[in-house]
Amino acid sequence: MELEDDLLLQTFAAESEENLAAIEQSLIALERDPRAEEALRAIFRSAHTIKGNAATLGFRAVAEFAHLFEDVLDRLRKHQLLFGTALATQLLGAVDVLRQSIPRAIAGHDGLSGPAPEVTAALQQHLLVEAEASAPPGRPAARDGEAAAAVPAQPGPELATRSLRVDVEKLDRMLRLAGEIAVARGRQRALLEASGPRDGEALEVHRETDRLLLDLQEQIMQARMVPIGPVFRRHERAVRDIALAHGKLAQLSVEGDEVEVDTAVVEHMRDPLTHMIRNALDHGLEPPEQRAAAGKPRAGRVTLRARRDAGSIVIEVADDGAGLDLGRIRQAAAERGIETSRLREGELEALIFHPGLSTAPEVTELSGRGVGMEVVRRNVELLRGTIAVDSVRGAGTTVSIRLPLTLAIIDGFSVGAGEETYVVPLDAVVECLELPREAGAGSGGCGLIEVRGAALPFLRLRELFGLPAAAPGRENVVVVSQDGRLAGIAVDALFGRSQTVVKPLGQMFRGVPGVAGSTILGSGRVALILDVPALLRQAAARHGGAAAEATA
Amino acid sequence: MDGVPSDPTQSQYLTFFIAEEEYGIRILRVKEIIRYDTVTRVPSTPRWIRGVLNLRGIVVPVVDLAIKFGIRETPIARHTCVVIVETDLEGERTLMGVVADQVSQVLELPPQEIGAPPAFGPRIRVDYIAGMGRVGKKFVHLLDIDGVLSAGELLAVSAAGASAEPAPGEAAPPEGAVT
Repeated sequence: MELEDDLLLQTFAAESEENLAAIEQSLIALERDPRAEEALRAIFRSAHTIKGNAATLGFRAVAEFAHLFEDVLDRLRKHQLLFGTALATQLLGAVDVLRQSIPRAIAGHDGLSGPAPEVTAALQQHLLVEAEASAPPGRPAARDGEAAAAVPAQPGPELATRSLRVDVEKLDRMLRLAGEIAVARGRQRALLEASGPRDGEALEVHRETDRLLLDLQEQIMQARMVPIGPVFRRHERAVRDIALAHGKLAQLSVEGDEVEVDTAVVEHMRDPLTHMIRNALDHGLEPPEQRAAAGKPRAGRVTLRARRDAGSIVIEVADDGAGLDLGRIRQAAAERGIETSRLREGELEALIFHPGLSTAPEVTELSGRGVGMEVVRRNVELLRGTIAVDSVRGAGTTVSIRLPLTLAIIDGFSVGAGEETYVVPLDAVVECLELPREAGAGSGGCGLIEVRGAALPFLRLRELFGLPAAAPGRENVVVVSQDGRLAGIAVDALFGRSQTVVKPLGQMFRGVPGVAGSTILGSGRVALILDVPALLRQAAARHGGAAAEATA
Repeated sequence: MDGVPSDPTQSQYLTFFIAEEEYGIRILRVKEIIRYDTVTRVPSTPRWIRGVLNLRGIVVPVVDLAIKFGIRETPIARHTCVVIVETDLEGERTLMGVVADQVSQVLELPPQEIGAPPAFGPRIRVDYIAGMGRVGKKFVHLLDIDGVLSAGELLAVSAAGASAEPAPGEAAPPEGAVT
């Protein structure tokens, strides 16, 4: 009995959150176009569902509040109320109340939380007034302060017709299993290759099993993929609220709704996306008057875009604001003692990712401390992704993030340095070369070698990591590509390609530079996955001179 | 230290030897004991963090308290093992491995057999010791495992690692290599 109750409550929690999110989006759509009858009906349905379920579960305070909400909606439907910014804000406030009250009710405290008193009072006020205006249906209601440009709301994607709610736990277990399958396949293949083709039938069975396992592995990864559209759209409310708070007009545009990405990637991108949107609204978009004076529409546009590109997903956060102020960046950089005179425009723009650099004139709640973009970059790199920014003065800024489609399994290239094995993400690897004896002399953290006429800077992994072992006779260089530039990582041994499971290292090792996780090799040993961008940065800082020469 | 335990395991401790001294950890925190096998070193971490090992698919950090207590590095011998304990790091239950020269015994230590930690004396920091358990004529240092592997210290490890990356102003990024 208890178990069923638990399940019931969990389902109520999940469904309520979905309904509240739907209400939020519909309210924003309605604010943009008060004639959108379907949006109003959708809100009604969701609110009604919440009320009914809450009543059934005995959450009286929540049910009563939902009832009040419905009453106000009813007035709206009968055109007895005008839908303006004020009402929209109050109804969104009601969503917040429910969002906070429902989990507490489930935990046993049947009451209201959040801005309940103010919102309740405001909503009740609306019920007292008989009819605020006799606006006939069809005429757009007057809005206070021009809440948003009258652009029709973008239709969301069609709801999936057949779907199943699955516990993320189960998917995580399946994911671990997929990883173990990958490792086991590798070991079996290695064993068979080593023992030679003795038994033709065994080989045949192996190949068949391997194919099936690979298929299973891929199906499991597929099951974890979710469309990114709903995640993007969840930011509509934030865009509206933040724009309002800053006295700006803005709306969110979404492109690539159907692009699917691993649910873990979605989780990790949630905060970075929020931060970038805040930046766009805080610093990127200009106030309406300024935009009008520049010949732009008064309402700014923040666009969230997703698309697939080979084995990666590309996410872009773009705004049509004023673009990055290079002069301010130069100034802020100078204040931190960073030499900018020889930097190209693209490199200047990239300084926004530098720790401690903020060009915001004052520190607002989240922007302005110079912490944000560096953290965003860190988060992206921990997912083995890359981030870049592009800006056109007067036209806007676009931040592009490229992430691997899946986090759980890595196609890697194993190398040895000291006595340990490390894994270089295969998509960063361009080629492998032998390190010419003259170039190395086996010591020093870095150096330069000539490859087909060009100078290739390389770093020595053993030295950078402070590994104790002595230099081997022959070293090899793994050439990697980062941001369009080539560099080499000199290692003691090359072990070849492998597909292995990524295991997070845990909180404890979060700040270790150059390491982006760990993986378990076929031998059972733990190997560390190299964080290529961070490694290159570390080497560049330590041996700045060589790198500068290399790129001169 | 505690009130009268209702569950007998509340007052049970697993004891082990580190550098010839006997230490104990509440048995409820001990998940398992394994032989010391291959440990992968993680660069830029203090020596007392020996690295990570693979525990049936979970990557577990391994610490050497002998180094942390300033005694010596635990030599790997036949009986050297790793005691896997469960600790709380920033609200998350995390597994951690503690290297021991040898496992000793499971002790039942009712509150009256446990004395307050000494104000000074043993080679280890007094705030790591939750109490001294009396076993016959000897004493066992009862470790406050959360204190030893405290969040503050571990996260300082991470910060130390992070500061290996150039701070702004320290080294001007060379041309062409802007971060």
